[in-house]
Amino acid sequence: MGVKLYKEPELENVVMFCGWPGIGNVGLVAIDTLRVALKAEEFGEIEPFEFFAPQNVVIRDGLLEQMVFPSSKFFYKRLKGKDLIFFIGQQQPAEGMVGYAQGHKAYKMAELVLDVAEQFHSRGMYTSGAAVSMIHHSAKPRVWAVPNKAHIISELKAYDNTVLMSEIEGRDGHGAITGLNGLLLGVAKKRAIEAACLMGEVPYYLQGAPWPYPKASRSVVEVLAKMLDIEVDMSQLDILAGRVDDSIEQFLQSLSSTEGLPAQARAEIEKLLHAKQADLGPITDAEKKEILDHIDELFKGEDRDEKRRHI
Amino acid sequence: MTKNDDIFRFTSEFSFENPALIVGWSQDSGGLSPKVIDYINQKTKSTGFCEIEPAGFFPLAGVNIENDVAQFPQSSFCYSQKHQLVTLKASEPQSEAYKFLSAVLDVAGYYCKSKELYTINAILSQTAHTNPRRILAVFNQAKLKKALRVYSLVDMTWQGKPHLSSYLLWLAKIRDISGVSLWTEVPFYLAAVEDFESIKTTVSFFDQRFALGTDTGVLDKHISQQDQKLKALRQENDDINRCIEALEIGLSLNEQEQMQIIRAVSEALSNRPVQ
Repeated sequence: MGVKLYKEPELENVVMFCGWPGIGNVGLVAIDTLRVALKAEEFGEIEPFEFFAPQNVVIRDGLLEQMVFPSSKFFYKRLKGKDLIFFIGQQQPAEGMVGYAQGHKAYKMAELVLDVAEQFHSRGMYTSGAAVSMIHHSAKPRVWAVPNKAHIISELKAYDNTVLMSEIEGRDGHGAITGLNGLLLGVAKKRAIEAACLMGEVPYYLQGAPWPYPKASRSVVEVLAKMLDIEVDMSQLDILAGRVDDSIEQFLQSLSSTEGLPAQARAEIEKLLHAKQADLGPITDAEKKEILDHIDELFKGEDRDEKRRHI
Repeated sequence: MTKNDDIFRFTSEFSFENPALIVGWSQDSGGLSPKVIDYINQKTKSTGFCEIEPAGFFPLAGVNIENDVAQFPQSSFCYSQKHQLVTLKASEPQSEAYKFLSAVLDVAGYYCKSKELYTINAILSQTAHTNPRRILAVFNQAKLKKALRVYSLVDMTWQGKPHLSSYLLWLAKIRDISGVSLWTEVPFYLAAVEDFESIKTTVSFFDQRFALGTDTGVLDKHISQQDQKLKALRQENDDINRCIEALEIGLSLNEQEQMQIIRAVSEALSNRPVQ
């Protein structure tokens, strides 16, 4: 039980990229865009049983044909002078009511991913996720870069549009990365593997949205493409980003016309709707909380009380 | 059995001869699953030999109270040497389902050397209590499906979120243990009470399959009493009678009619004395 490799490709000078779902699916979309663009080949998986419950069963004519679990797969691609391994997880192994990975199962999954990295003598690892930020959805998201060793900082800073924690107002170089993105960075550090997390900025008011946030994924892919010195076709991401932008505008329009919304929250939403990034001005913690409370409540409404029969 | 020794508590030792394992869950519509297991255990004079410890599978933050009585998660294996049958009546684990089901299969496979697995569940149906109950079946191997062809089981076709029984069946398949999930129909309006006809239908299947020679007289008595109460209800209440008549000829009821019949039947079966 654990990692199952279908084959063991001979790889050299390996760098690993990991993506899984999270806020706006920023990391998953970014890493998977790169994997698809490079036509990476599947070569293994982490067996799901210890981490995930089955999501679907297929029964036909009295025979149990299929039990579907969230997948956690490894892919590889040989590039000139730098081979790549991708790890794409369809779900983070969460425990209890927490939405992101934590605890024993998350740690075990991080260990298994790192086992594969070590087996192929990976010299570095990149994870990706979202950085919830005070930006407007019309703005180009920056990429927050957090390495697990100080000497990687200068390399990360050299890429356009990347920022360090110390460069973000009010952070003073501190913060936290929740879920597998953070855990993997830590476990890699424990094993002396260099790793960094690249986080695309997501507007704070969209952190609970059920949509992806492809604009942030695009920013991450730009950095990764530069890093690998490759061209990546972004047209699909751009199309998706356009659609999501339209949805956000429509959503904010409908929210601003919602009866019973406190005047203060309505004013802030109006500001978001009509302002460009530079016009937003300061927002207090209380205002932020009020908007988030209402927006999150609306986002959660669709899933509430969903009761389904199961066999 | 080397991996999970800390989660079992063995109370007796037996030498098993490839017994079949029948799994029922403590909570089920119409009281089906626990009642069938209790009935089989009683009639076959089965003896308990192992329990799965609840820690790690249940919150254990106190106890739930049902019908004025404190409840506690229970997962007990019983064995009938005469019939080479092992039963498990278990509370559905609230976490670590894979570990729990693996423990069940550890006992079945490593300890008992079971080759055949049966799970019992109720499936709610828009059928009348006067209609015969069908048993829908899901097999994990074609050879068992073929072997049970003579029992008039109905092949199920379905896709969606899996129940714990389906998950167990899948894990059994991986270990090459043949298995079938039996889904016995329970009229939806008997979900909250005991549906003795469904219990009898399921017991009768196992009676035939394993030549248990069980006397279903007690169940017949309960069925007769329940039928009398429902007959009286139909005579008193035209709306309910019309609803049951519709179900008898295979028609479905709307939501309002369903709620009406559920309320009336629950009240009738809980309060009405048998004439």
